Amino acid sequence: MEFSWSQEDRDFRAELRRFLDEVLPGDWQERAKDGPGSQAQAAFSREFCAALAGRQWLTPHWPSAYGGRDASPWQHAVLGEELWAVGEPRGPQYMNVNWIGPAIMTYGSEDQKREHLPRISAGDVLWCQGFSEPEAGSDLVALRTLARRDGDDYVVNGTKIWTSYVNHADFCFLLVRTDPESSRHRGISVLLVPIDLAGITVREIPSVVGERYFHEVFFDDVRVPVACRLGPEHEGWGVVSYALQFERVGAPRYARAALTLDHLARVAAKGGQLDDPVTLEKLGEARALCEAARLLSYKVIDGRAHARPPSTDTNVARVAGTRAEQAVADLAVELLGPEALSHGSFGDAQFRMAMTAGVAVGATEIQLNLIAGRMLELPRE
Amino acid sequence: MDFELSDEQRAIALACEAILGQLAGVQRAMAMAERDAYDASLEKALAEAGFLEVALGDGTGALEAALVTEATARAAGVVAVGAGALVAPGVLGRALAGPVALVECAEDGGAVGPVRYGSEARSVLALRGDEAFVVEIEAGRASPVRSSFGYPFGAFASPLQGTSLGAGSGARLRAWWQVALAVETVGTMEAALSVTLDYVKQRRQFGRAIGSFQAVQHRLAECAVWLEGARWLAYEAAALGATAEGAATAAAHAAMAAKRVFAETHQLTGAIGYTREHDLHVFSMRLQALRLELGGVGAHRREAARARWGVGG
Repeated sequence: MEFSWSQEDRDFRAELRRFLDEVLPGDWQERAKDGPGSQAQAAFSREFCAALAGRQWLTPHWPSAYGGRDASPWQHAVLGEELWAVGEPRGPQYMNVNWIGPAIMTYGSEDQKREHLPRISAGDVLWCQGFSEPEAGSDLVALRTLARRDGDDYVVNGTKIWTSYVNHADFCFLLVRTDPESSRHRGISVLLVPIDLAGITVREIPSVVGERYFHEVFFDDVRVPVACRLGPEHEGWGVVSYALQFERVGAPRYARAALTLDHLARVAAKGGQLDDPVTLEKLGEARALCEAARLLSYKVIDGRAHARPPSTDTNVARVAGTRAEQAVADLAVELLGPEALSHGSFGDAQFRMAMTAGVAVGATEIQLNLIAGRMLELPRE
Repeated sequence: MDFELSDEQRAIALACEAILGQLAGVQRAMAMAERDAYDASLEKALAEAGFLEVALGDGTGALEAALVTEATARAAGVVAVGAGALVAPGVLGRALAGPVALVECAEDGGAVGPVRYGSEARSVLALRGDEAFVVEIEAGRASPVRSSFGYPFGAFASPLQGTSLGAGSGARLRAWWQVALAVETVGTMEAALSVTLDYVKQRRQFGRAIGSFQAVQHRLAECAVWLEGARWLAYEAAALGATAEGAATAAAHAAMAAKRVFAETHQLTGAIGYTREHDLHVFSMRLQALRLELGGVGAHRREAARARWGVGG
């Protein structure tokens, strides 16, 4: 066991910080406050990703054949920490790299890999996730979007909901039911859908979380070439399960929570609140949760570094991360008090972003189900 | 970064568990508790096999000592392994004649409350203000104190005086003590949860195993998340040499987890879990002792905050 960073990883982190100092505009925190889907962030993100890609830093842990540097997953973890800590200037592209790319690498045809992976590595494309539906959220396999085979195309009809980032996306990683006689896990397929196809309509769902955070996406007789299918027909659930393992511990949200907490402590210090032992305890409590989330996420990265198949470590890390985010967000509002009431203030932004922690990327209850069943081996009904 | 045990670490853990499997365990702990006894023969066996000085070995250190401490806690060993194997080597760079007790003292050197393993201690590491002291203890110095909380305790009637380790040495003792608490708590929690998991898998009510109810599953899953967080924080704190911040953070998280695990394991084992014949109390009651020690969760949290954000007092 080793808890120190290798010299290589430390050098990488230092180099990355120098790069961020140079490249991030002075008003970056202002632009970042409405999250990776917002208009303010979107334009900068594309440029930023291209700059990162120019240094092969967008996908350092990918095989060089796909635009990476065969670096260890730890480098990608360092990258994620540093970028999330400053509000994720990669914007929604973190999603491409975290799990869409890996899914295509594992299940894609040579044509699909050639078409998509270089663009993801170059920071030249944005993806969105077509998973949830009005009647299929946590129970994702209840999905009903149908893809009827017609010659060399699938004809897709259905609705996806809660989709983030679709407003800027080039492609959608879409889950459909290709076998109309099937139900639940069987008969699902994954389609890599260009978002500019005829018949796709996008509508924002206004929310309190942030600008352009949620959307509905309507598919009306959308013709998607069969060549866009990722993995075997009707066997898409395997692809999805694989992708979800990466999604659960992809964005190091704990890094953002930890930096927010540091900021809160500084604010509290300035306001004389650190003389209050109760405040100190609350800060210490939140810090303990953040640190646990960090190490449990590292355990997942460690599994990848040792080429172990994904495990319930991802679910454990996800729950710990959620608890940390929620504790920090609650503390932000408590410590900042009236300042947090103004929209766009630091406390307000932290709170709104952390609101989704227990629901996004798989509800906490699902994580707990999986921990109970697969890790603790508790019996089913 | 590497979270896997090295071959050597694996070998140490296995060898230690083999001894513990023969000489420790729940039945042994219950028998010791009836006589308020200390398991001197277990301590001797661990010492002879080199496990109590593994922190000082060639190529082994605090992390290996943490693995030994954790395994001993998991096996309900009635030995002062945290103090002897982790704290003394960490603070002094050498071993002390065991059993070793850790004592928090008031200004005048008087021990604050009953001391875990106090009545058996041959050596004491005492924390007084910002100074640490090594004290040699003669047999019978502390009088036994009966406690519900799973360990033998002793009360020191007179102030403890010994050799000071210098101004500021108290911080080092506090940090290693926190690491040992975190590690012992992890081993103890794991055992308590294991007992509870076995129970809910076999206990049937309403026509099904109670472990098949989702509410029960979720609560145990949350406990597992608490345990794993505590585990890795404890290992990291030991591996990085008990920094003030790392140690306090690990101790805080362990204490937070212990509170939750205590409550859930007893709630889910119902009435049988309270009985002396059932295994749970051997571990669960210890959790209460551990989470109160050295100021408890409040103190650890405040110290973690102070250490990180540089506040005095």
